[in-house]
Amino acid sequence: MEEDFKKEARKQYLHYFRFWFLSIGILAIACVAMAIANRGKDGARTNNEAPRERVYDYADVLTDAEEADLREYIAKMEGKLHIDIVLVTFSQSVEGEEAMKRYGLRSADWEQNMRDLADDFWDENKFGYNKGFEGDGVLLLHNWYEGQNGEHLSTSGRVEQRFSLRDIDQVLYAVDDYYDTDPYRAYRAYVNEVCRLMDDSLSLPFSWGLVAVLPVIAAVFYAISGSHQKKAENTVAVNAYVADGRPQIRNREDALLRKNVVTRKIETGSGGGGGGRSGGGGHHTSSGGASHGGGSHRH
Amino acid sequence: MYFRCKNCGGNVVYSPERHGMYCPFCESEGSDERAEGQTGALTLCPNCGGEVEVQEHTSATRCPYCDSFLIFNERVEGRYAPRMMIPFQMGKENCKKSLREKFRKCRFAPTDFLSEARLSGMQGIYVPYWFYDYATVCHFQGEGTKVRVWRSGDKEYTETSVFAVRRSMDIGFEKIPVDASEQMPDDVMDLIAPFQYGQMVDFKPEFMSGFYGEKYNMSSAEVENRARALMKEDAAKLLRESYAGYNTVRTMSEDISVRDSKVAYGLLPVWKYIYRYKEEEYPFYVNGQTGKIVGTAPFSRAKFLAYTGTLWACLTIVLALLEIFLGLL
Repeated sequence: MEEDFKKEARKQYLHYFRFWFLSIGILAIACVAMAIANRGKDGARTNNEAPRERVYDYADVLTDAEEADLREYIAKMEGKLHIDIVLVTFSQSVEGEEAMKRYGLRSADWEQNMRDLADDFWDENKFGYNKGFEGDGVLLLHNWYEGQNGEHLSTSGRVEQRFSLRDIDQVLYAVDDYYDTDPYRAYRAYVNEVCRLMDDSLSLPFSWGLVAVLPVIAAVFYAISGSHQKKAENTVAVNAYVADGRPQIRNREDALLRKNVVTRKIETGSGGGGGGRSGGGGHHTSSGGASHGGGSHRH
Repeated sequence: MYFRCKNCGGNVVYSPERHGMYCPFCESEGSDERAEGQTGALTLCPNCGGEVEVQEHTSATRCPYCDSFLIFNERVEGRYAPRMMIPFQMGKENCKKSLREKFRKCRFAPTDFLSEARLSGMQGIYVPYWFYDYATVCHFQGEGTKVRVWRSGDKEYTETSVFAVRRSMDIGFEKIPVDASEQMPDDVMDLIAPFQYGQMVDFKPEFMSGFYGEKYNMSSAEVENRARALMKEDAAKLLRESYAGYNTVRTMSEDISVRDSKVAYGLLPVWKYIYRYKEEEYPFYVNGQTGKIVGTAPFSRAKFLAYTGTLWACLTIVLALLEIFLGLL
């Protein structure tokens, strides 16, 4: 008989967890199938006209090691997100009549010139992951010229379509946070922020840490709820054994002895508050006729 | 005595589902006739003559040889004759169903706890009870306060009124049940109540056929203190209910006096299931009339670890696979 009970216990166990085991099997098969399917489409780069260089540190604010590190990081993220990520630093006046004449700029305005320079650099080098004209990618142009320090973010192709004004501001704010103390960290933040905003891959709304912790919490809850037993309670009503269900009242007397009234003054109070913020940038056409998006921050 | 089928000679039992006598051999109803033993010896089965082990207080049992249900005349007659009883309203199968339903959520109970093999050992027992009637006179005297709060403008007023509260009432208690069995745990027998007295009938030995039974083995005087305690508790509660409208009440005097009392002997139906696990006994008692269950399910450590561990592992694997799968999309 004991053997029969053990067999029954195994049967019950498998029956109880059947949906879990089935789900694990289905998910495992789906993961393998998806991995096999993804092997064929690796999203290879189709634009071979653009240079391989991504870090143009004309302002010389990065060390050689930092540049190499940034190049390596950008290459890794480009392979993952299939967009070109370019960084250009320089130090040159781009504002006023003198700069206009000296460098052949189209305008005396800082923001207009930063935008033109960024777009032209992109177009002339034929950047873009998928094609050399209006291809997918982003370029950060940082001007370190004294009194004209600031960045412009030029977007193209898929990035232009994706980035809202708010997204552009978010990338520039990430750079602003560190540029004056640690330029390398500021440019790494630029790459990170672009990647975060462009990352299409779906994931659970929690981290791997929670993947480890959540089942523990669930198991504890399961253990407690499964161990809990409702104990039998006394359910005999107070009049269960009373003849006719109620007592016979012979005397019921409630005589007022005394009464007193206390008065108290009511205290009152009040409070309040609130606020918000917004950003700017937009779509335009470069001198080369290509469509770009973008925005600038001047310090 | 035992009850024999007039048609096939098999042992006729009382069927709670059919509310009558039933022969499980030829399935005829109402075909019972009372049969007495040849020798009249208590330990010999009147049907097959086999020797039956009879405990000191047993009034009904089952013959281990021919499975006939036997009722011992001298333990249900004379000074042991019950005046009343509630026949079983819930059969064994319904009782098993109730137990399974009640402990369905106890997922860490041993696998065989609610198995057919174990539950078939359940016994229906007629438990001896003393039923006490009390005619009482209750008096209460105290001081009650009523508090009323209201607002007017920027002021709050609190009015406190003090009353002299007096109550006098007659409370007639009928059939306060106290079990007269040494074997039955008092706390469990209290919890298994209430029984619906609407189904109380005069004692008939036919109702005992198919069940086990005990004669009273504690006198009415021995257990009356339990009935009196219950009566006093209920009377005090009823007095309190009568002055429930007050915010606070200070008792000055309370008196509950018994004017008259009576006691009667009867039988009440209880299903008993003893489950043995790791050398420990887990008793379960089910009210044979209402189905109320008293008992605590055993806990299997091995099952707890296996089930909790598996749930944890399954959830971790499912979440991890989901994370991987979504990343691959």
